[in-house]
Amino acid sequence: MEFPNTGYYLPLSHGILGLKIDTLGGLRELLEQAQEILPPIPDERLFVPYLGHALDAGMATLFADEIIEAVKYTHDPLPYLTETNPTADRLWLGAASDVILRERGIEFVDGTAPGFAAIVGKCPTNEIAVKIARELQEKNIYVFMSADIDGDSMAQQLREEGVQLGWDTRLVPFGDDVSATVHALGFATRVALSFGGAQAGDFARILQYNKNRTFAFVLAFGEVDNEKHAQAAGALNFGFPTIADTDIGQILPSGICTYEHVVSPVGHDEIVSKAIEVRGLKVNIAEVPIPVPFGPAFHGERIRKADMFVELSGPRQPGFELATTRELNEVEDGKITLIGPDIDKVEEGSSIPFALLIEVAGRKMQPDFEPVLERQMHEFMNGAHGVFHNGQRDINWMRISKEAKEAGLNFGHLGSIIHAVYHQEFGTIVDKVQITIITDADEIAKHIDTAREAYRVRDERMAGLTDESVDTFYSCLLCQSFAPNHVCVITPERSGLCGAYNWLDGKAAYEIKPTGGNQPVPKERVIDGEKGQWSGVNDYAYTNTHKHIEKFNAYSMMEDPMTSCGCFECISCILPMCNGIMTVHREFTEMTPVGMKFSTLAGTVGGGVQSPGFIGHSKQYILSKKFIRADGGIKRLVWMHKALKDQLGNLINKLGAEEGIENFIDMIADETVATTEEEVLEHLTRMNHPALSMPSMF
Amino acid sequence: MTKTIAITGKGGVGKSTIAALLIRTLNQRGGGSVLAVDADSNVNLNDLLGVEAGVSVGHIREEMKEKVNDLPGGMTKQQFLEYKINEGLVEQDAFDLITMGRPEGPGCYCYANNVLKDILKTLSDNYEHVVIDNEAGMEHLSRRTAQDIDHLLIISNPSVRGIQTAGRINRLLAELDTRVGRRFLLLNRTREDRLSPAIREQIEAEGLELLACLPDDDEVRASDENGEPVYSIPEDSPLPSALSDCLDKLSPT
Repeated sequence: MEFPNTGYYLPLSHGILGLKIDTLGGLRELLEQAQEILPPIPDERLFVPYLGHALDAGMATLFADEIIEAVKYTHDPLPYLTETNPTADRLWLGAASDVILRERGIEFVDGTAPGFAAIVGKCPTNEIAVKIARELQEKNIYVFMSADIDGDSMAQQLREEGVQLGWDTRLVPFGDDVSATVHALGFATRVALSFGGAQAGDFARILQYNKNRTFAFVLAFGEVDNEKHAQAAGALNFGFPTIADTDIGQILPSGICTYEHVVSPVGHDEIVSKAIEVRGLKVNIAEVPIPVPFGPAFHGERIRKADMFVELSGPRQPGFELATTRELNEVEDGKITLIGPDIDKVEEGSSIPFALLIEVAGRKMQPDFEPVLERQMHEFMNGAHGVFHNGQRDINWMRISKEAKEAGLNFGHLGSIIHAVYHQEFGTIVDKVQITIITDADEIAKHIDTAREAYRVRDERMAGLTDESVDTFYSCLLCQSFAPNHVCVITPERSGLCGAYNWLDGKAAYEIKPTGGNQPVPKERVIDGEKGQWSGVNDYAYTNTHKHIEKFNAYSMMEDPMTSCGCFECISCILPMCNGIMTVHREFTEMTPVGMKFSTLAGTVGGGVQSPGFIGHSKQYILSKKFIRADGGIKRLVWMHKALKDQLGNLINKLGAEEGIENFIDMIADETVATTEEEVLEHLTRMNHPALSMPSMF
Repeated sequence: MTKTIAITGKGGVGKSTIAALLIRTLNQRGGGSVLAVDADSNVNLNDLLGVEAGVSVGHIREEMKEKVNDLPGGMTKQQFLEYKINEGLVEQDAFDLITMGRPEGPGCYCYANNVLKDILKTLSDNYEHVVIDNEAGMEHLSRRTAQDIDHLLIISNPSVRGIQTAGRINRLLAELDTRVGRRFLLLNRTREDRLSPAIREQIEAEGLELLACLPDDDEVRASDENGEPVYSIPEDSPLPSALSDCLDKLSPT
């Protein structure tokens, strides 16, 4: 007694229990095992908060199924056709041979087919059955069919509609009995044994493998009776959830399956996408479905005006790009809507308004990812031959070439690019993407304020970023060509000392060019939060300054200050008599109270050396809450040259007010009142500058 | 493959006029699109080409430095520079023009120039030819904001002193690590049979390779005098014809 052409005996009992059943008598042991794990019948009114009993009952059901199916193979004639595809008069195929397993199972492993849908019952109409089968086929998902209702089943419905069935079309009719459902799970077991390296009897590994690797689920159409419930419970053991079109008891919390276990009732229009979502199946789109070539080779392609068919948004027309997070049920994956004229309705050589609204949903999606998704649009759009993209948000600018238009590219294809590439590149966070393309000026006007509000909220969050709120800083090594022992470490609250570079720039540059001059620097352990010293930053500095700098404090100029290349916008240095510091911008070329001009000071500070009492920094840093915080912060500021005072005055006053000092900028001396340290001190005394009453800087 | 021709020489030798006509000649010879780069802030190549100038790269760079944390549309600096440079490009059927603008002021330009170099390189790759009109000091080449060049044409008037200057430029370039394919001397407003022995000796002494002598051209003179773009002088006048011959020598077909 055996399943035909297989070396796996009865695959489920072989895999799960390690049994090698090849005689009718051997089935007795399997039956005993089934009885042994069968739990007591639960009280009708008592809900059990865990699944243990249901899972055991389910597994016992599958064992029983396998016994019934095995016995069928002793019948003459065989109830099943042992072929790859059904014939005109024989529909049911039963257990797959090892040849089929090797040919088809490998597709589960290499990702060609993500998994299978085990379908039980029948659809309300043949039409629906065909639609669902097609939908699954499009996604390369195998369809395993079993269990009829009153003599009719999904497989029969498809056959009546003339749909080709069999392993070749991935629509596999297993059997009309409910027990034939076990062939789906037997197949899954054999995939784990054959490709997953699992040993017979190592049930944990087999079940785990299927949960993690085989994206399968059960679709129950029509009435779900006790027998089918029991099958569904069996499938749960493999991490395969059940989605039903009728109202059956739901099992929502996750545990065995990746997400929910049983979801119902779900309409036929959305049941496939719901199943994909519940199973956590990632849709893989291998090719970007557009009529022009697509790939990184086309990055940097500029469409010259003479070659351009149409210009979208940009300097001459309004528009925006917005990626926004939605709930899973609010997004229909792959839906592309165009509001306004398509490319064939616009005049050659014209500029038109253009907006892209990208709605994204995903189990792991967070609003924080929106800017990342949005920024990548540039790269994706430029990947299409004949498409030129620039800018972002409400400063977006695209061109489409005459050649691309000629090849059949339309605006909807731009949506297809986004849909395909978002799945490819951001599959881990994105489950569903729908795109609305707007070329109608009035419609854009309706949405643009919403978009701008979204940008504003995002910017505010970015502006509110503190060094404490991130766990990674970014380095800048661009200046190492002439200061080889210097690294800039850029934090949200301390921009690069040249003033050109902030934390977000470093992050963006790293995203775009991971091997470039900006590298992530994990903070790791906080050594001194007040002074701004972290173990990860020290390690990074030590390695990248060629062991010249062992540690530095980001918020101190007195103790192990951060080094400078020579590019700093400003230099701050201590004025010991005044118990404070002076800050001078590189545009100020005259003498300063410390007795050195900027150029001389720069020699002291630059070149990657630590000189306590002196630091180079950006203009921005003066306004940061972390500005020499460990040394007393902005209240130490006693002298600045006039031009810098004029420029930053209001902002410095605001910071002063937060410290309870009114009109702080006037307390700070400049070259019009003081050119020596003595004169600075006189001014401070006259103005009652707070630095005079602060602890000594040393 | 983009071919880049850089033209340089001290002020007043007719270098920008030659650049403008070379752009036209390259396009007319069926060489495809041309990117014109105005890298001499003393002359306005756009006037000679008969177009309005766009916003210069220098201006964009300063704007970026001004708005460090306040770039429009939440753009990163890379995006901002890219967008602005594309926007600043003056687009014609025969050529696109980019103006480099004034060299940097004090301060650090490591980052800005690093990004600019990438953007300009990417932009250049879109054209069959790039023609760079350089000032004698070659600021943009030494700052490496201009890309590698295939042919460098040093323009001089037919005088010993002029050729000495050309020699200095030649040596300066040899010291830069910018990759230059071949360097040539072009003598403007003269004929080869009129060169004095002293000039020929000086050319030899400076180690320069004379590509051609360019003729005096009444049409050029007239457009100069009337303040009209030299770009629109007749094709069959002497200077454009001579430049066409030069191009034959540079890339024999």
